[in-house]
Amino acid sequence: MARSVSAPRLTLKTREMLEAWLFVSPTFIGFLIFFLGPLVAIFYYSTTEWNLLSQQATFVGLHNFQNALLENPDFWHVVRNSVIFALGLVPLNMALALSLALALSRPFFGVVFFRTIFFAPVITSAIAWAIVWKFMLQGEGGAVNQMLAWVGIDGPNWLREPNWAMAAVIVTRVIKMVGLNMILYIAALQSIPRDYEEAAKLEGASRLQIFRMITWPLLAPTTLVIMVLTTIGSFKVFDHIYQMTGGGPENGTLVLAFYIYQQGFKFFNVGYAAALALIMFAIVMALTLVQVMLRRREME
Amino acid sequence: MTKVLLKDIRKRFGTVEVIRGVDLQIEDGEFVVFVGPSGCGKSTLLRLISGLEHISDGELHIGDRLVNEVPAAKRGVAMVFQSYALYPHLTVRDNMGFGLKIRKVPAKERARRVSEAAATLKLEPLLDRFPRQLSGGQRQRVAIGRAIVGNPEVFLFDEPLSNLDAELRVHMRSEIAALHQRLSTTMIYVTHDQIEAMTLADKIVVLREGKIEQVGSPHELYNEPGTIFVAQFIGSPKMNILPLFGGQPITHNSSVPATAASVGVRPEHLSLVAPSNTALRGKVRLAEYTGAVTLIHVELDGGQTCLAIHNQGIAPEIGAEVGLKTAPEHLHFFDNEGRTV
Repeated sequence: MARSVSAPRLTLKTREMLEAWLFVSPTFIGFLIFFLGPLVAIFYYSTTEWNLLSQQATFVGLHNFQNALLENPDFWHVVRNSVIFALGLVPLNMALALSLALALSRPFFGVVFFRTIFFAPVITSAIAWAIVWKFMLQGEGGAVNQMLAWVGIDGPNWLREPNWAMAAVIVTRVIKMVGLNMILYIAALQSIPRDYEEAAKLEGASRLQIFRMITWPLLAPTTLVIMVLTTIGSFKVFDHIYQMTGGGPENGTLVLAFYIYQQGFKFFNVGYAAALALIMFAIVMALTLVQVMLRRREME
Repeated sequence: MTKVLLKDIRKRFGTVEVIRGVDLQIEDGEFVVFVGPSGCGKSTLLRLISGLEHISDGELHIGDRLVNEVPAAKRGVAMVFQSYALYPHLTVRDNMGFGLKIRKVPAKERARRVSEAAATLKLEPLLDRFPRQLSGGQRQRVAIGRAIVGNPEVFLFDEPLSNLDAELRVHMRSEIAALHQRLSTTMIYVTHDQIEAMTLADKIVVLREGKIEQVGSPHELYNEPGTIFVAQFIGSPKMNILPLFGGQPITHNSSVPATAASVGVRPEHLSLVAPSNTALRGKVRLAEYTGAVTLIHVELDGGQTCLAIHNQGIAPEIGAEVGLKTAPEHLHFFDNEGRTV
């Protein structure tokens, strides 16, 4: 006997769509409040002169941008520092990460131990890491200088001399973060079929030729991701500088993210800080686009 | 002249011996197929010949050279991999010319040899494409082309057709056979597909658990299998093996060797007859119609299942009582150890 079935009020497609939105909504609402909201707000703040203490925002148009880009010499000094930091950190980090990955991508006794050792700093608290290195890099009595003394080298006061301070924060930051890129490279290396290497070996390619002609080109997508992420990360560096040098000596390590923090939360120039944050966003975006375009051209 | 000679070849991975003393002579220009079930060591043996794995013991000669300690690139072999191993970032032209570039062959000569190989394999229109833009069969041809340009003395194929669909496999099989005829180079081919082995080989090497079970021409292996293993591995559907204890009605009119413990007969050599015409009877349990023939599964009165190929008229119904008959010359007798007697 045929049963009469009453048609549901909503179509199947509508019901499925509602269910989907139900599942997505917690994340979506969080995204709106904590990500999109502040992003929109920062555009507004950047056009105001807003002193956090007076709680009064005055609309000033593009004055904050004009101030940063054309009037305030500190800004360009800070950008220069950030660029030096990135130029030092990104190639060093990537070269080290790739070398470690090449050494640790194949199984051998103890490989997990070494991977853990190199990855451990990534999950260590950045502040704790910086404090430990600050002690180790002390001019007198620091572990690094003591070790140098054993081999007859009189080490500098690393974090107090402008030239050395930047090098010291770069190297310690690289050691902290290299494990992450190493893992990305290991994953990429392991996804390259062994057959390619074997086919090349049969054709007489040396290990260096295999790396140069097969492995390195096949790593290109990963290299691009690592390069973009590391560059962005290097422009955003804050905690490391905050703890190790506080931007000193003589503003020698005062980088953009730390400068924004200073302007916003030390001098309470929220409007100016917001404008600086947008400029940093533009710089990072431009650098990323350049990297992506260069890579694409290289691959074509 | 490029003979390949294997003398008591052994390969150990740690304490596990996967190749356990292989002796084999491959003649110049011969097409030899290594066949066997998964894990029998056929690919390992091929990799030992190629130089991608080190030989633990024994001697390997290619031509008149002992090559145990000769690096892979200098053995004069080229290999076609199961995955094709085409470099995804290089065009077909660059893939094919890769080895020549490594060997610093001048660009002009390189281009000539790539064009020649491309012409042989009808790859000319594809030379500027990337592997991702090719079909499975085209990739396979490029992989073969890459092997050809190096002018190797020995070609090694490691299950080259296993990633292709059935139709393309048949087509590529004939292309490989034609290529062998044209080049007349020694070819060693690994497969687990006995049809491929039968159709391509001058000589088949059946491997089992790291040892050679039998070597012979396809005809020899099919008609004179040395063991039950070979008898059942070569030929499709596989040979029926029936125990002889208590007397086996199939051997009714044959002289049975004294040491025989079992008897084998191929499904294509069994014909269906009326139950009253034979002592070997049973019930039809399954009939698999393949178009040209029907494969009949008959449960014998003794409980064993016997396969028979039926290619005349309508197949009997499931459950029908049938008789099975064969000529005495089609019977194979095996002893307790599974060896032919």
